[in-house]
Amino acid sequence: MKFAGLLCVTIVLLASCQRAQRSPRAVAPSRGSLYELRIGKQVYQTYCVGCHGDAGQGDGFNSFSLDPHPRDLGDPAFQKSKSSADLADVIRRGGAGVGLSSLMPPWGHTLDARHVDAVVLYVRSLKRNQ
Amino acid sequence: MSLRRLFALSSLAFLAVLAVSPVKNALRSYRSIQRDFQRAGMARAATVKAAQSYASRPIAIQQIWIPELDNRVDRCTTCHLGVADEAMADAREPFRQHPATVHTPRDFDRFGCTTCHGGEGLATSEDDAHGTAADAASPIVPAAYAESGCGRCHQSSFVAEAPTLSEGRALMEKSGCFACHAARGYEDFRSDAPPLDTIAVKTGGEWLERWLSNPKAVDPNATMPNFRFSRLEIRDLSHYLFSRSVPPELRDAVAAASSEPAGVAAKGKILFAESRCISCHTVDGKGNRSAPELGTIASRATRGWLIAFIRDPHAFNPQTRMPRYGFSDADVRDIVAWFEDDLRDFDAPPTILDPLRVNQTLAARGQKVFKSAGCSACHSSTAEEAERFGPDLDGVGDRRAISLDFGKRNDLPRTLEAWLAAKVSDPRSFASGLKMPTFAFDAAQRRAIVTALLAMPAKPVPEAYRNAPAQQASLVPGGAIGAIVSRYRCLSCHQIGSRGGDISSAPLTFEGSKVNRDWLAKYLIVPYSIRPILPERMPVLRISQAEAQMLAEAIETWYVDGSIPDDPFADRPDSDRDAAEGARLYTTLGCRSCHIIGNNGGYYGPPLTDTRARLKPGWVFRFLQNPQRWRADTRCPNYGLTDTDALRLTAYLESLSPPAKLAATEAGR
Repeated sequence: MKFAGLLCVTIVLLASCQRAQRSPRAVAPSRGSLYELRIGKQVYQTYCVGCHGDAGQGDGFNSFSLDPHPRDLGDPAFQKSKSSADLADVIRRGGAGVGLSSLMPPWGHTLDARHVDAVVLYVRSLKRNQ
Repeated sequence: MSLRRLFALSSLAFLAVLAVSPVKNALRSYRSIQRDFQRAGMARAATVKAAQSYASRPIAIQQIWIPELDNRVDRCTTCHLGVADEAMADAREPFRQHPATVHTPRDFDRFGCTTCHGGEGLATSEDDAHGTAADAASPIVPAAYAESGCGRCHQSSFVAEAPTLSEGRALMEKSGCFACHAARGYEDFRSDAPPLDTIAVKTGGEWLERWLSNPKAVDPNATMPNFRFSRLEIRDLSHYLFSRSVPPELRDAVAAASSEPAGVAAKGKILFAESRCISCHTVDGKGNRSAPELGTIASRATRGWLIAFIRDPHAFNPQTRMPRYGFSDADVRDIVAWFEDDLRDFDAPPTILDPLRVNQTLAARGQKVFKSAGCSACHSSTAEEAERFGPDLDGVGDRRAISLDFGKRNDLPRTLEAWLAAKVSDPRSFASGLKMPTFAFDAAQRRAIVTALLAMPAKPVPEAYRNAPAQQASLVPGGAIGAIVSRYRCLSCHQIGSRGGDISSAPLTFEGSKVNRDWLAKYLIVPYSIRPILPERMPVLRISQAEAQMLAEAIETWYVDGSIPDDPFADRPDSDRDAAEGARLYTTLGCRSCHIIGNNGGYYGPPLTDTRARLKPGWVFRFLQNPQRWRADTRCPNYGLTDTDALRLTAYLESLSPPAKLAATEAGR
């Protein structure tokens, strides 16, 4: 009798341990966290918005004095044609660094690598659908 | 029962008890999570060697132990195995790599995890570690408020890379939260609210009633919250405020001004525009929003009060940020005439500014309302009068959900952040008889304030972890110069060291090394737009010639940066003075996308044609080498120029001749 009782206790103990076992919650993978996007937006709003505009359409208030016009960053075709490494490169070295207009300045000495990556993420988020 | 049998049974029982611990350990959830991680790592591994290193990871509890930070032990990395693993950048949780921040990945061992994120560091099961249970001691901070973690070490109002926290702290200061609630670091906080002594000669009973029933509805820039006074309370308060005795000299000044002849509105309109009042005020929503909306000012204050106030705002409110302009008596009459013509509430009844006939019984009742609502916490002329009767805010970020009084709010989740958000947006909804007034915060502002509140710990982090930016020396002179600086309230917009407002983008800390004295003296008298894109511009303060000279001299003497050379070309080869080479650099670097020279270029940065008159060459040289040196948010990119290139550019900018029109004006003077 006693033996059976002890067995029961052991089984209950074991079972209670088992209950805690659960597979971790699955979260859909995302490109860049909310935090990096927020920092990217901050960098964009500080340095880029004057020419590229709020929504990245190349219509910032200073864009009208520029020839060539700033790039429309929301254009899906443009977004598709450039890798994130390409975007980071032109931000770091400027237009002249990649054989384009020198009116886009180089930011490699102003922004560190983390900020460049963050602003690339934000530029990606400006892509228009369709 | 035989003794042997008893012995056998007790041995079995003993063995079973001994087995409990290892069996329990073998079945812990983290072990299967770690095996999942091994599989996930191997699937992602690019090389056999990398795969092997994932496979050979021991299954064991991982921890970060930081004795110097309250003896913190964080075992979060037992499950969050990929936080520092680049291969896990887009893995699912709990394996995903931590986003790159100022402190990650390099500072994991210095801060651990719970310092920023909250949660129970010692726990090794998800529910315990994240504190999902209702009465958990330290539940994890939801992602929306994650920046509160930054604020536990970073004590300053502005924290770089924590925009939500910074906004929350700024909002709390602007809204005057610390006038009622004590908190570490805000011991000397004083509200900006004006003294109420001159209400009886400033406005009318009708206007005051409207204001007291909802300040934001009268003026969207109002920082005063809505106290939700009843109609009777508003009536009593109005009688009390009108019964307060007006200082005789101010009463006389207002009375004298109201009997002056009418001004010329057309002239006033021009004066108003020149004075750049919207650098602080708004007119129909246009402007800086840091001072009252003026769109209906003539229906808000009487003509006599407006004239007397504009002539000497500091007599009415010693704390005000408004400068005492050097207007002539007639100028002020003209400005107020324009207010009366154009800036009035055309829907308001003509009686809106009629004074209230004080009934002493009602006034006595109003005084009680004034006291019980805590009006003097903000509207007090001395610090002693101000009483902080709200609860202390220290430790509010560490309150346990179970200790919070949710009162009538059965609709809220029982969490600290939900409680705080509801307190901030609708403080009176918890019970009847609560005193805290209602602020009109939108959802983003509410989130920012809750973030700032969650950053207020019960116990400050150890000294070594506290980060407050070094206070820069803020030399604010006394004597005659101090009187000029105070009269024109330079510090309302400009910064000197760590003091002053941030309305202007030009701090004065090193202004003496930056601009030429003669230029500055002229600019102080007739300022012009250096950055035309900014709505905030230097006002024409009507400063006298003598004052401008004195101020320019003082600035050149005191506000200097010793590391800026007087002559950057000294001891340099002649080739460094090559202006033609500088001009070529100007083109190849694309400076013209933002700056105008002659008629050509963008208008994002200041025009550069008048560089020689305005700026000192040493400053231009140092600026070109590192534009972010004096202000971290300076937009001009750092081009990483060599000394030679920076000097050649400087030589080019110094060689420019001012446009013909400007030169002609100069010659004419």
